[in-house]
Amino acid sequence: MMSPALDAPAHEPDDDAGMLEFPDGIPGFSQAHHFLLRDLTDDHVFQVFQSVEDPDLSMVVSVPWLFFPDYAPILSDEDQRVLGLERVEDAMVFCSVTADDTGEELYVNLLGPFVVNAQSRQGRQVVLLDQNWPVRAPLPSGT
Amino acid sequence: MLILTRKPGESIVIGNNVTVTIVEVRGDQVRVGVEAPRSVQVHREEVFQELARGNVEAVAAAQRARGALRKRGAGAPPGRSRPPRPPDAKPGPPPS
Repeated sequence: MMSPALDAPAHEPDDDAGMLEFPDGIPGFSQAHHFLLRDLTDDHVFQVFQSVEDPDLSMVVSVPWLFFPDYAPILSDEDQRVLGLERVEDAMVFCSVTADDTGEELYVNLLGPFVVNAQSRQGRQVVLLDQNWPVRAPLPSGT
Repeated sequence: MLILTRKPGESIVIGNNVTVTIVEVRGDQVRVGVEAPRSVQVHREEVFQELARGNVEAVAAAQRARGALRKRGAGAPPGRSRPPRPPDAKPGPPPS
């Protein structure tokens, strides 16, 4: 049985692993169920998470631990069960990155990470209730 | 909106496979149980709205975020090298 705390970047998203399925869709875009994850930057730090159904639906994402090493999301039993996650190594975790109006400041959504079972390629956006992770955590600059 | 009156222990059924049960009523709080297939994610409404807002914002900001990353010099086209992590990546919260 996996430890409930995901405290390490066990799996990094990569660009040649194919399509990810989100059977529930994601909040705000419930009609999108299939996504691709492609590297955006040469250093593999940022990816583009893009809907197959609607290519206009894309967002920048990143593995949170690269910037927030203390990030320790605890998945609910329900999320673990639905995702079929039995080993922490199977969890692929990434968070959306947004910019303010000026495009100067970047923020990471630590409240609602995307979690994918790397074996089944199925994922969902989970919400970390009562864990006090912000929905807009400023991305440390100088990266 | 359909409005139904239920007592604790009673349920309503939505569609073929979602059952909502009133578990307990205490003062101004109502405990509700939801049985749904695993493909139906159940959220508190305000939490769902916050996630949805965050996602809509992330999609709207995708171009700006890419521009900001380019300015920071992190927008080179994908290559095959894989450095372990940027040497200057800083932790967000101070170490405890």
